[in-house]
Amino acid sequence: MTVQIAIVGAGPSGCYLAQALGKLRDDIHIDLIDRLPVPYGLVRYGVAPDHQGTKGVVRQFARLFEKQGVGFVGNLRIGDPEHDADLTLAELREFYDVVVLATGLSADRKLGIPGEELDGIFRAGFLTRHWNDHPDEAGRIPGLGRNVVIVGNGNVAIDILRILAKTPHEFEGSDLADTHTQRLSEAGLQTIDIVGRSPADAARFDPVMIRELGKLSATRFVVEDLPPAEDGEDKRLAALRELGEAGASDADKTVTFRFGWVPERATGADGTVSEAHFHKAGGGEELVIACDTLITAIGFDDDRAMDREALLSRAVDAEAGAVEPGLYLAGWFKRGPRGTIPENRADAQELAKRIAADLEAHPPAGDRPGATAIRARFDTVTDYEGWLRIDEAETADVPDGRCRRKLTLVEDMLAAAGAKRETR
Amino acid sequence: MDITILYGTETGNAEMLSEDLQSHLEGSHEVEVSNLAEFDPDGFDKARFYIVICSTYGDGELPASAQPFAEAMDARKPDLAGIHFAIFGMGDSEYDETFNHGSKRMEELLTAHGATRVGERLTHDASGEDLPEDLATDWADQRVAEAEPLLSAASDA
Ligand SMILES: Cc1cc2nc3c(=O)[nH]c(=O)nc-3n(C[C@H](O)[C@H](O)[C@H](O)COP(=O)(O)OP(=O)(O)OC[C@H]3O[C@@H](n4cnc5c(N)ncnc54)[C@H](O)[C@@H]3O)c2cc1C
Ligand SMILES: Cc1cc2nc3c(=O)[nH]c(=O)nc-3n(C[C@H](O)[C@H](O)[C@H](O)COP(=O)(O)O)c2cc1C
Repeated sequence: MTVQIAIVGAGPSGCYLAQALGKLRDDIHIDLIDRLPVPYGLVRYGVAPDHQGTKGVVRQFARLFEKQGVGFVGNLRIGDPEHDADLTLAELREFYDVVVLATGLSADRKLGIPGEELDGIFRAGFLTRHWNDHPDEAGRIPGLGRNVVIVGNGNVAIDILRILAKTPHEFEGSDLADTHTQRLSEAGLQTIDIVGRSPADAARFDPVMIRELGKLSATRFVVEDLPPAEDGEDKRLAALRELGEAGASDADKTVTFRFGWVPERATGADGTVSEAHFHKAGGGEELVIACDTLITAIGFDDDRAMDREALLSRAVDAEAGAVEPGLYLAGWFKRGPRGTIPENRADAQELAKRIAADLEAHPPAGDRPGATAIRARFDTVTDYEGWLRIDEAETADVPDGRCRRKLTLVEDMLAAAGAKRETR
Repeated sequence: MDITILYGTETGNAEMLSEDLQSHLEGSHEVEVSNLAEFDPDGFDKARFYIVICSTYGDGELPASAQPFAEAMDARKPDLAGIHFAIFGMGDSEYDETFNHGSKRMEELLTAHGATRVGERLTHDASGEDLPEDLATDWADQRVAEAEPLLSAASDA
């Protein structure tokens, strides 16, 4: 008897869960299903292109498919047909004994201020996906100006700031495409103001992210709104203070950090953003920054392809991710859009134990068809061999100083994977 | 020789490398693998050789799975005189100021309690060209060769 398990979403949570389940039981078969023909979720499409070391974690995930017998079913979207899904959750559950949803949270959170829809305003998820060549955003080109305001104080905001501030030679070794490097340098960026709602010691970025900025070659830093220095202060404050004193003398860009300002509205001229307005947290003071680009990096949300709210509200144990025996939620989709790659690992190990315990308590009949049924119904799905062929195409002929040239269209991925074109 | 591979990890790279080294050494040795989180500092055995693989997190800190071990060491202060270990670090030069500080701390922790390091600590850079297993297999073979006479001298004494 083999228990058939489908994990929807081949990002870090899904992969770590497959790893942990594989260690607990050997009478299971696991398929990782993803809407894209390529696995690894935000490791491929979120983690900054100039942080290749972090992407090394995929070597572990590759073992799942290469040595541990996990299957990959790519190019299959699960969920509501109104959101272009190929297969509903109910249908998928007919094929498998256990289904786990690990589809992440890919929609950008909105600020909810007037003027938010002006041209020149971009959201973090769109930009980071675009720079990472995600097929959803490859064709939408952000027109970046010279004076940028970033709203948000998390690591994603710092990733965006760093990518905007780097000069082309600082992308050596990354997989940032030449077209992006070129557009970034053509934008002729001069100022970046990064504004957070919280005081500096409550900012959500890690101190190492700030120290890394100190190494940028052509950038000067100004840090406003810091409290007076104190011995043994918070590491973020120390890193910011140090950054304020660093900075290249021949800088052509200035980055200003500001803390404790609440975004109020964006105003524009001819439909394009020209000013960002803030007020002091807990006070009446106003701050107006002239800009031609406004970027919001304030978190992520559900893309509504699956009814997350309903799943969470009917869960027998929402915190553990157990909706009911046979149906579970993992990773960002379960927890919300917080937490780094290691947190998903710890979480996945807990969830695997829960699933194993439920399997003990409610042993399934073990007669589900699994991926055989999916492949019989869709000749458009891809497999792990297909991803290897895509990977090969992406790493075969790379420009100087780059480690990969990503394919940006699903069509091209499918062609490289050797799969049939979609016929619908 | 009886070998224990101990790993401290957060995203699992050190665990995977431990498993690789186990398969590599298993033909000629008796090899156990243990997560530092599950290893009791009172459980060190002079008759075994320890290979410690440890990554780095946060601001040059020990990874999550090594932290309970470090706390238990501090609390119980075991006497590790006569214990031989080799240490391999995993880090990322993106974090250059704290590059591989986790494995350095782990080394200091073990030697501070009297354990003897065999050979140099080798560090892997996730942003570099080398795969950890490519660096670690030769390194481990050499450390094991160096440890063999040390451990048999100790058991003769
Ligand atoms: C811009 C950015 C940068 C980050 N940088 C870092 C970093 O440097 N270091 C770090 O530790 N963490 C970083 N993180 C956090 C880390 O990426 C997350 O913790 C992690 O990716 C969450 O994993 P997940 O598997 O839950 O979701 P995801 O990684 O989002 O994976 C979800 C997967 O599900 C698939 N999917 C979605 N909907 C469907 C559907 N309907 N049907 C089938 N498949 C579907 C997606 O294609 C995707 O592959 C970053 C996050 C972002 C947004
Ligand atoms: C959030 C985070 C912080 C890190 N901090 C450091 C660091 O300070 N110094 C370092 O050398 N490596 C650092 N690293 C890199 C890891 O040590 C490296 O990726 C290693 O291969 C991880 O091994 P593990 O999977 O066994 O935990 C960091 C990685 C992450 C994700």
